[in-house]
Amino acid sequence: MVITPVHYIAFPLLAAFLIPLIGKINRQAARIIPGIVLSYLAFVSVNLMIEVQSVGFITETLAGWKAPWGINLVFSKFSGLLATLISFMGLIIWAYSFNFKKVDTAISLKYQTLQMMMVTGALGMVLTGDIFNLFVFLEIVAISAYSLTALYRNRDGAEAAFKYLLIGSFASAFILLGIIILYTQVGTLNMAEISVRMVDVSIGMKTLIFTLFAVGFGIEAEIFPLNGWAPDAYSQAPGPIGAAFAAIVVKAGVYALIRVIFTIFDLDVASEFLIYAGFVTMVIAELSALRQTNLKRMLAYSSIGQMGFVLVAFGIGTQTAVVGALFLMFNHAVIKGLLFMSGSYLVYDTPGKEINALKGIAKQLPIVSFFFALGAFAIVGLPPFAGFWAKLWVLTAAAEKEMIMLIVIILLISVVEIVYYFRVLNKLYFDKRKEGVEVIKPTVQAFASMSVLAVTIIVVGLYPDIILGFLKNASDTLMDKSIYIKNVLGENMN
Amino acid sequence: METIYQDILTYSIYGSAIVLVLIGLYAVLMKKNLTKIVIGLSIVDSGLHLLFVAIGYVHNGTAPIFSPAAIDKANKMVDPVPQALVLTAIVIGFAVTAVALSLVIRLYKHHNTARIDQIKSLKW
Repeated sequence: MVITPVHYIAFPLLAAFLIPLIGKINRQAARIIPGIVLSYLAFVSVNLMIEVQSVGFITETLAGWKAPWGINLVFSKFSGLLATLISFMGLIIWAYSFNFKKVDTAISLKYQTLQMMMVTGALGMVLTGDIFNLFVFLEIVAISAYSLTALYRNRDGAEAAFKYLLIGSFASAFILLGIIILYTQVGTLNMAEISVRMVDVSIGMKTLIFTLFAVGFGIEAEIFPLNGWAPDAYSQAPGPIGAAFAAIVVKAGVYALIRVIFTIFDLDVASEFLIYAGFVTMVIAELSALRQTNLKRMLAYSSIGQMGFVLVAFGIGTQTAVVGALFLMFNHAVIKGLLFMSGSYLVYDTPGKEINALKGIAKQLPIVSFFFALGAFAIVGLPPFAGFWAKLWVLTAAAEKEMIMLIVIILLISVVEIVYYFRVLNKLYFDKRKEGVEVIKPTVQAFASMSVLAVTIIVVGLYPDIILGFLKNASDTLMDKSIYIKNVLGENMN
Repeated sequence: METIYQDILTYSIYGSAIVLVLIGLYAVLMKKNLTKIVIGLSIVDSGLHLLFVAIGYVHNGTAPIFSPAAIDKANKMVDPVPQALVLTAIVIGFAVTAVALSLVIRLYKHHNTARIDQIKSLKW
């Protein structure tokens, strides 16, 4: 069987529909299916990543309709990188949630089905070359995310999900309207062809379409003030789902925004928007994180802040900055994944998920606390962990462009991050434990998946060259849209 | 006479699309009842769908099916792409509405009310 990008969508989607059926016959088999599918996707990713480094570009037309007419899948060095990241994080999150007491019980089959749908949607968003198809996959991600938020059947879960759904529906209405107006202007839905024909569109229309897309995708990508859903959804959803939001949903949202900006519009138009939006998002989210008493809400705000930082880095727009931004996205998936995974064991059964309830828990859960500490060190950017290099790249890029204010603010924000993460660490390690408080030991699978992430953080921190090559190739592919157009439409179209 | 009729048709279709979106927005933003908010969302969607279909319409056009009889009328066919997309969008809208209504039912069971101003255990 030849390995092609369509496997990314076909197999998890098939699995999502098979899980409930097989679950009727054998529950154990249904629980293992996602693991098999995601392992296969990881294998596909490795193969395709090796192939794409030599070939440069893999495109696939679906159902025999060539590029401008039919839907095509694009596995470039950039989208391939994100697809690989999503598949591997999906696998790790599956391993973590296996035997996770709160999701792997009676609701296990629903959880597994929805998680597979979410992975399908995110991979589809990253790989598709058609803007309406992007919208459809976004809706698949969104609908499974709404349902996953409400997985617990409790009061606050339903409320958080409803809020998310209201905001998300607005997002989809904006994107749909944007697509309609775009279609009237250029008469095509293929992103490469749109990019070619965009020169004929008037500035006013461009601005209108850009605004609609920015608002729509901005909601998934957690841009302020469109991120009202995030803290509630993160804090109400079970632990593995919080990790999946950080590692999968937000990645796909940012990808869509960046793809639209870099391929359909010019970066010059959007550069200032990205810097300001990212900047405001970053400052407000990090300051809100400082005030939180709920651990998961704190992590959620920190996550929003990180995404703001990613947008600023994309907005600076030089090659160094884009490498930094991609590095930040990679870091955010891995480190925030680890923080959510370890954090949700730390606050496992405490009612309000309060940070104060964590006093001295390091004595009872030494390894989980160690993982959390490692994640905290990495995300605030202490050397020699992975977070340090990403910040260094972005700061270097800002320095090259002489954005002194930006550098000052980023460093100040880092101090804020250090303050609120270290406050938690201080409680974990140096406070006295109340007597007789039970804790829950992580399962073997959870230990294994957290260790994988922890090892990744340390190895990438010590030898950043391992992934820098991929990131540089990805940023080259992203920055030069003529490569994208040429490879999707073929040489003679232009 | 023909053109006046055509103009009226065009304006009324685009106008009703915009009116539908506005009605939907009004319901989402001003109504307190969760079910009415969900209905509002679905009206916004309908407005957008109407707009999309109207864009692909060609006056006196035929259905976009290629057959020997229709081959000389190819430029009088309505645009098939918006129609296909609207079908997809309708299905998506249906799924979102279904999820939304199930959440409304669950909220009603927990709070014994479907008024949004009486349900706020989480802060924004």
